[in-house]
Amino acid sequence: MKKFLPLISLGALALALLVPSARAGLTSDMKEGKPAFRAMSQLAFGPEGVLFIADTRAAAIIAIATGDTQPASGSAPIKAEAIDQKIAALLGTKPDQIIIEDLAVNPISRRAYLAVSRGKGPDATPVLVRVNAAGQPEIVALDRVRFARADLPNPAADTAPEPGKKQQNRRLEAITDIAYIDGKVLVAGLSNEEFASTLRAIPFPFKAVDRGTAVEIYHGAHGAFETRAPVRTFVPYKVGQEQQILAAYTCTPLVQFALDDLKPGAKIRGKTIAEFGNRNRPLDIVVYQKDGKDFLLMANSARGVIKVAADQITGAAPIMTKVGDTEGLKFEKLDWAGVNRLALLDARHALVLRSGGAGQASMLETLALP
Amino acid sequence: MIAWARPAVCAALAGIAAALPAAEAPALHWLRSAAPPVVEAVGVPAETLRRLGPAPVDDAVWPSILAVYAEQAGETATPPMAGTWSMASGRLRFEPRFPPVRGVRYRAELRLPGAAPVLAFFTLPADTMTPTTAVERVFPSAAMLPENQLKFYVQFSAPMSRGGTYGQVQIRDAAGRVIELPFLELDEELWDPSMTRLTLLIDPGRIKRGVKPLEDIGPVFEEGNSYSLVVGADCRDAEGRPLRAAFEKTFRIAAADRTPPDPLRWTISAPAAGTRTTLAVEFGEPLEQALALRLIRVVGLKGGRRALAGEATLTHEERGWRFSPEQPWTRGRHALEIETTIEDLAGNNVGKPFDVDLFEKVDRRDEVRRVTVEFEVK
Repeated sequence: MKKFLPLISLGALALALLVPSARAGLTSDMKEGKPAFRAMSQLAFGPEGVLFIADTRAAAIIAIATGDTQPASGSAPIKAEAIDQKIAALLGTKPDQIIIEDLAVNPISRRAYLAVSRGKGPDATPVLVRVNAAGQPEIVALDRVRFARADLPNPAADTAPEPGKKQQNRRLEAITDIAYIDGKVLVAGLSNEEFASTLRAIPFPFKAVDRGTAVEIYHGAHGAFETRAPVRTFVPYKVGQEQQILAAYTCTPLVQFALDDLKPGAKIRGKTIAEFGNRNRPLDIVVYQKDGKDFLLMANSARGVIKVAADQITGAAPIMTKVGDTEGLKFEKLDWAGVNRLALLDARHALVLRSGGAGQASMLETLALP
Repeated sequence: MIAWARPAVCAALAGIAAALPAAEAPALHWLRSAAPPVVEAVGVPAETLRRLGPAPVDDAVWPSILAVYAEQAGETATPPMAGTWSMASGRLRFEPRFPPVRGVRYRAELRLPGAAPVLAFFTLPADTMTPTTAVERVFPSAAMLPENQLKFYVQFSAPMSRGGTYGQVQIRDAAGRVIELPFLELDEELWDPSMTRLTLLIDPGRIKRGVKPLEDIGPVFEEGNSYSLVVGADCRDAEGRPLRAAFEKTFRIAAADRTPPDPLRWTISAPAAGTRTTLAVEFGEPLEQALALRLIRVVGLKGGRRALAGEATLTHEERGWRFSPEQPWTRGRHALEIETTIEDLAGNNVGKPFDVDLFEKVDRRDEVRRVTVEFEVK
């Protein structure tokens, strides 16, 4: 037997070389069935039409093979007036009984996906919705799909189970944002009990989920290390040869972390490179290219949509002293009112979810990247 | 969303339909006993049924003949409800994917070529909307809180609705003025799995540090003043009903607490062997309620470390911890095991203050995951 082994190994090696590794990677390990969801909160697309859905109530990330892998022909703008009413009609309810949780665009097909809750209580039904070319929503059937699931570790369950303990576990890890980069799903989270913020890098295809990395920042507006405030939204961005994460926090520092530093159980300190002002929550952040230059676009609760030239990031001085209102990277405020969610539609357009104000309908709209 | 019947079955059904008397006038019925209610169309011409049958028709054909609309207030063209279509005994049937909700009128439409549309409506009886849910209590229970108070838990008597909660909770000062943006607001809102407990985090950027005043917006709490946490009656429960009444918890603010909790200084009243007497632990200060209940356990040390089964409760404004064992105490060494992530009201952990200020230079100790405090049962 022994002498044949090298030959067999060589055969296997030859076979492995013939099969493109990327194709073998992402969806081949998925199982087919109906994934269980308690909620759908954040969305992020990976390659090959894989959609990552954060289930914040189950503290899990579910990867779905959407099969939506037909490249878009041309660049058709998406426009959907009164999208909340249309979704409510599709789901047989009222607009005030749905929550549009997140928006993502499939980079291959350029189609818009929305995570929606039908209802607002504990029995709310999560629904994945896609918007068609006519601006009408349709339900993405998940009754029989290829999927994979990663459960975030819940520290309450980590402690030795006390036999006969009656107390139910009320702890939940709220997920504030997710993104996919280079074979990793990045997950920012915050517990509803102990005050601690984590950023995890989960290898995809999913294996074990680590304990997460505690992240610490210097918040110039507050003049102190805010060890435990949650990352609200983030975007992966390559600075030189190094993959970085640009993370935005409430009131509104922008902080840079190296992806390689996200090690299980580690505690890392980010570099604060901008303060975008007080009384504000960052909502979404994207990176795009125009005329050969990279830009960041960030939607905010109070400070509108801002544009930042990314070439300022290389060599940006860390903010290490107390600042007044804004500091660091220079930015420009755009005339884009009421933007709640922001995604890239294609190389030249953003897709935004805009609210028309209290009691007014929301709309999906395509805007030219500035 | 169209459920295609197998062609052979459809062909058979179409055959039956063709054999039905054509005299029956087209009509629509809501079958209210079904859950969720379904719509059936009778009197559909055999030709239409045949067209819908085995041929691979476009998705749009079925809803163009039979559809249900959840009527909306606006003028915008809205899509029909999602659901499944089927055919049985010459009847067209539509089963909505979702159950009906109160306050929406459902309009079923049957549109046949050359005939006026047939409509049938369905509405659930209006809800009485009598409020039944209330705030049961708020943690911390204490009436005196540190200036760097970090967190509140609001416990409701029934599951609540998500979305818009921050618009219903306020911090007011003694004069009744509303403090601007006191909470760290998260779109997700921090609810427990049953959605009966809401976690409110004070924005850490609004917690006063040392003697330096916060610029711009200022701290939420200042020593010596009184405040109220107010939960408005318009906070909606899971059924969409308001609360029975608004809730208010008034408290005074003491000096900031920057001292990490130290289990080695807790007092433990060891029970007697052979009894099921309650073990009493005094913290000397209030601790954060959920973590104090979750992160402390009792272990027996004799013959190997093992966790004891029993029930833990907190007493006198979360200053004390009580443990009633399921089995009588056995003689010998025992210990409390405390996760170092336990917090006091200001979010200080064991061995680590909440926030390390640049100018205070507090040394961080290495992370200790668990502290053990031994006691003897005699």
